[in-house]
Amino acid sequence: MSSHAVAKPQGWGGGTSPLATSHGKLFMWFFLISDALTFSALLVALGFFRHKYADVWPVSTDIFTHFPFTHAHLPLIYVGWMTFDLILSSVTMVLAVEAGHRKDQKAVVLWMGLTVLGGAIFVGSQVWEWWIFIEGSVDGAMRWQLIDGQWVEKIFTGANLQYNEYSVTPHYANFFFCVTGFHGFHVFSGVVINMVAFIMAYTGVFERRGHYEFIEKVGLYWHFVDLVWVFVFTFFYLL
Amino acid sequence: MEFQDGFPNYEVLAQHDNEAGIGVRKRLMNVFWLLLVITLIEVAIGWFWNDIQHSTGLSKTWLIIGFIMFTLLKAGYIVMTFMHLGDENKAMRWMILGPYFAFIIYLIYMTAVTEGAYSGEPAHRNLLNPVTEMAKEAPAHH
Repeated sequence: MSSHAVAKPQGWGGGTSPLATSHGKLFMWFFLISDALTFSALLVALGFFRHKYADVWPVSTDIFTHFPFTHAHLPLIYVGWMTFDLILSSVTMVLAVEAGHRKDQKAVVLWMGLTVLGGAIFVGSQVWEWWIFIEGSVDGAMRWQLIDGQWVEKIFTGANLQYNEYSVTPHYANFFFCVTGFHGFHVFSGVVINMVAFIMAYTGVFERRGHYEFIEKVGLYWHFVDLVWVFVFTFFYLL
Repeated sequence: MEFQDGFPNYEVLAQHDNEAGIGVRKRLMNVFWLLLVITLIEVAIGWFWNDIQHSTGLSKTWLIIGFIMFTLLKAGYIVMTFMHLGDENKAMRWMILGPYFAFIIYLIYMTAVTEGAYSGEPAHRNLLNPVTEMAKEAPAHH
């Protein structure tokens, strides 16, 4: 496998890479750069529409006030909890990476397991939030709706891609579904990849391979998901 | 330096011993607490913003600037510490962050000079969303 003092370096012949990084990690970074630009596009579009519809754009703090098992008015607390959960699972992820650097299989398995759990809780939390958002309040709001080719003003409760009770512009709900949905799907795929890494660590694949870099690459993706949420949290919920 | 198939084995070079791990973990936990505290501050400001605005008279622009600062701070810590970009070499760091500095400069230009300057005009709104415009501008019935 590995041997010291190789006589004839192959490839580009320079011996060491100027970036001093393995190709796998480098390509994960390339992917994340492009993925971040996709999210940037979504968030820039959100900013554009917020600006354009500033007079009718609702304040998210007034809408996301629900919390499971209580009817209390708790603005942003649930979203704050989701953020906390994601940061926590980021920490367990980075601890798994650190344990991988020490080749501590037991610790990697433990931290990866907790990361999967944290991710699954986040996906579940987002499902709950979507459900509350789509279900809406009891009263709803008066909205102009296109029914059988006629524009009529009627009560509308909840939200879909055409109308929502939170704002007269459909863009508010559209951006909620698109931005948190796109992010949520990233979280979902992250949980699946984390689970694969967990199983590989558990079955000793990395021990046989001699290094835990796979965990590091998975970690890059997972932290990226957390990074995106930091921006979504600010630009969709807080502002 | 460890080689494999003629190339340096960066996967193995990244490894460290137990002793070094203690320091690394301590740094990671510090970053975690920092991120947590910033998030709590953000939620608190979001919750009490109306009161804060009422008592201090701060404009919403400061809120936006403050939140963006917090966000960039959090993002910086996540990328530099959790994603280990701070441990990579200089060329690698610039290769990844460079495009985003260009992007941010373009974003500022776009906000201040081009799209941001006209998009609020009613004439441009109708084109995009008849439903909203109808709801807002149709004469009230009954």
